[in-house]
Amino acid sequence: MDPITFSIIRHRLFRVVEEAVITLKHVSGSAITNEGHDLMVSLYQTDGSLLMGGVGFLHHLTSAAEACRAIIRRFHDQIAEGDVFLLNDPYTAALHTSDIYLVSPIHHRGKLVAWSACFVHVSDIGAMNPGGFAPEAQDIFTEGFSSPGIKLIDRGELRQDLWDTILNMVRSPEMVALDLRSMIACNNVARERMLVLIDKYGTRTVDEACAALIDQSEVKLRERLRELPNGRWQSRQYFEVKGEIYRVLLTMTKQDDTLTFDFTGSSPQSKYSVNCSKWAALGGLFAPLFPLLCFDIVWNDGAIRPIKMIAPEGTIVNCTRPAPVSVATVGAIQSVNNAACATIGKMLAASEKYAGEATAVWHANHFAIFMFGNNQRGRLAIGILTETFGGAGGARTFADGVDVGGEIPNPISRMANVETIEAQFPIRYLFRRRLIDSGGPGKFRGGAGGEAAIVAHDAPDGGIHYVVSGKGTRFPQSDGLCGGYPGAVNDYVWVHAPQQPHNVDRFAQSLGEIPGEDEPISWGVFPLMGNDALYLRWDGGGGVGDPLDRPAEKVITDLAAGLISKEAAREVYGVVETAGVIDERATDARRRELRQARLAEGPAP
Amino acid sequence: MRKRISESLFAEAGTICCASCSHPIAPTGASWKKAAALSTIPVRSLPGAASNIEPKIMLRRFACRQCGHLLDTEIALPEDPFLEDVVVV
Repeated sequence: MDPITFSIIRHRLFRVVEEAVITLKHVSGSAITNEGHDLMVSLYQTDGSLLMGGVGFLHHLTSAAEACRAIIRRFHDQIAEGDVFLLNDPYTAALHTSDIYLVSPIHHRGKLVAWSACFVHVSDIGAMNPGGFAPEAQDIFTEGFSSPGIKLIDRGELRQDLWDTILNMVRSPEMVALDLRSMIACNNVARERMLVLIDKYGTRTVDEACAALIDQSEVKLRERLRELPNGRWQSRQYFEVKGEIYRVLLTMTKQDDTLTFDFTGSSPQSKYSVNCSKWAALGGLFAPLFPLLCFDIVWNDGAIRPIKMIAPEGTIVNCTRPAPVSVATVGAIQSVNNAACATIGKMLAASEKYAGEATAVWHANHFAIFMFGNNQRGRLAIGILTETFGGAGGARTFADGVDVGGEIPNPISRMANVETIEAQFPIRYLFRRRLIDSGGPGKFRGGAGGEAAIVAHDAPDGGIHYVVSGKGTRFPQSDGLCGGYPGAVNDYVWVHAPQQPHNVDRFAQSLGEIPGEDEPISWGVFPLMGNDALYLRWDGGGGVGDPLDRPAEKVITDLAAGLISKEAAREVYGVVETAGVIDERATDARRRELRQARLAEGPAP
Repeated sequence: MRKRISESLFAEAGTICCASCSHPIAPTGASWKKAAALSTIPVRSLPGAASNIEPKIMLRRFACRQCGHLLDTEIALPEDPFLEDVVVV
């Protein structure tokens, strides 16, 4: 086909997805969708294979392809124009029950020509804990309703009985209804724009362009892989729930134009809901792969073909039903994502041509705090603290990570304004800012994470409750690269207010200034009542290179900006300063001393 | 011919070398970490450590035995082996 037509159709497909995303956000009323961009829209071929991956949470691109295939298998001769299918079963294709897929066939003159699929994290799914993340769940049956595929809209007609049944199983039916309607609207727009495209160019031409687009992605990725060195790289992620420690171990092997991700050696599946299913693990490894290796390649089935995953059954990265998985997206999936980011970063760093694309691990641990309770208007409010999407950039081989710079698997994530959250929930922020010493030290420093503290405010019930699924407070997960240190970890502290109300400081500006007794928490449901406070901090990105190679001037700049402490400047970066002025002689001596100290323990055993 | 292994390592004539001082570290084709200087720091001792850090988790630092330049790091519990990275040259 002529390259100009091909290029036009390629860009029109991008625009179809983009416009569908805009629609989704316009109709949705939740902060997790609009602010956190916990969403995804993509187009799929008639067989369910990925045609055009959109932005949003990239974990979902391959899982939604499997969702399309599952719908095709289940409804093969009952798929009609105007249908919309719902699927959210993690053992069929979804990541966890609260990320609902709506999958719609696109027909042109009665013939199936494509599929569109989208997801949002719905406000509630009827799990034992509000909001979808259910740290107290013991199996999939306590994680809300899960469907391996139902027809929600039949030939353009909403099945009211099903609709009412679904909304009858969730805590905030009006918000979940809006979530579902936003996805229906999104798929409608995707279908309409696809039909305009096909009407203009014809089915045969569009099909030809789509096939060429997929082949092009495969050819380009295989070419890129051949340019990269052959080798084997490992990474390991730790996380913990209630004293049990889990490992995700990854060995990535690159051979010629193929890449194999082998998770052999990872921990057995957990009794807690941090597990993930096979499709979720696959999505987890593609989330960093698409932006890091396919930054100029269309994300479609062609880019999937050279990749193989080995995930032993019964492990935390391929659990068996009915193991609980509701925390998967911030549990095992995120660790798979981190591990893949680390090994891909190492491979890129080994390439003269692509070293500039290498990165340390970005914001590696969502804290996923869902608040629930009656708000200042007397209505039930359920929602996430979107700071978890603020993230932190990993350092690159040429630059520092971006402070509060998002995350690899969701290139458009962001957090809501404080005022947005305060308007939705009966809380008040004491402070929210970048977190000192959170970016992983290195020649190039990891981006800083953040910290915040909230108290109850104008709460009709005296406060609110929250669900925290914080499996990442004990182990750093934002790995450094090539000598860089990891970013700091998440932390959650319940500050029990003193008994005497006059001792309460309602304007404290740091954890240390909040009066009361600190209790570290990480897993379960907790109250935020009376004068108590919740302090939280989120992790920074990993650093790249030896911290002693960081120019002293940059260390001083970081010090002045409040991004690092005097202790870090001296003990990690080896910079000696007085009132912000570098003592060059003392700095040279300190850096020699720190290098010498590295040799004191001798060779590795 | 000099071949890049990472930001901090290169290979030449069958040997992996420190990119900072060119000191030979280990033969190519296998993990080089056992031939490096290893120093370990408890993560909880690093600036910015949070209240709940696992006491046993360590930052392993692999450095050039000649110049002390940091070649790689990894987070590990004491019982876990070194992560192995092998670039075919």
